[in-house]
Amino acid sequence: MVVDQTILLATGTALLFIGVAAVAVSKNLLKSMMSFQVAVFGANLALFSSGLGFGSRLMSDAFVILSVLVGASVEAVGLAIIVVVYKKYGTLNPDEIRRLRR
Amino acid sequence: MESEIIALLLSGALFASVAAALLSTKVSNSLIALFYTSIVLGIAFTVYGDGLLGLLTMITFAGAISVLLLSVVLITGESKLDLGARKLALGAIPLAAAIGGISLLAVFSGQEIGIGASDSSFSVLQFLWSLRPWDLLILMVVFAGAMVAIISLLGKEE
Repeated sequence: MVVDQTILLATGTALLFIGVAAVAVSKNLLKSMMSFQVAVFGANLALFSSGLGFGSRLMSDAFVILSVLVGASVEAVGLAIIVVVYKKYGTLNPDEIRRLRR
Repeated sequence: MESEIIALLLSGALFASVAAALLSTKVSNSLIALFYTSIVLGIAFTVYGDGLLGLLTMITFAGAISVLLLSVVLITGESKLDLGARKLALGAIPLAAAIGGISLLAVFSGQEIGIGASDSSFSVLQFLWSLRPWDLLILMVVFAGAMVAIISLLGKEE
């Protein structure tokens, strides 16, 4: 079980960092939201695996459920903002949007 | 040893689907890969004995958020959602429906639903969580295949 926990914890942490890095370098707002979702997946997996080695997993489960709900809400709001930005500027490229704002 | 192999397989599947989602040039392909990622994550939670969390992840991310992303992709016109192979998709949907129906029958057969039981809520919960992970995996793969086929079918024909 300890090896499982380590594998899942490493996977979750790696996914979290991959997602954050992809959000930073993405040139499309939609792809940024997808990368954010990957980061949320990584956080959920890391939280879940942190509770695997113990008898009761109530605490880690509660945190994962909270993380799922908060992540989904943030993503829904982000997608709504993306639609508004697209209607206003006609593009989803952050550099182009910054140029048009000036 | 077997559980380590399962953990490695799940990690590999997660990395592969995330790589497909982030490296794909078409947004529609990224969306499908992300859909698979949420399903794999839900299966990982279910395999490690937390069916509630797996179900919640699948319902929230593979269900609601995928549909939201699909709507935004369609509204912004970032991708035409054209995967090609429409004839293949036409054949795949009835096949997926048939396999899904048979699997559902197999999963739900012989189970007592809580109607008429002394404590119905407990029975329903017991019934839900008694679903075996691999049956759920087959069902999810079938549903994911059906989703790809539907996107392919509804995509614009050039």
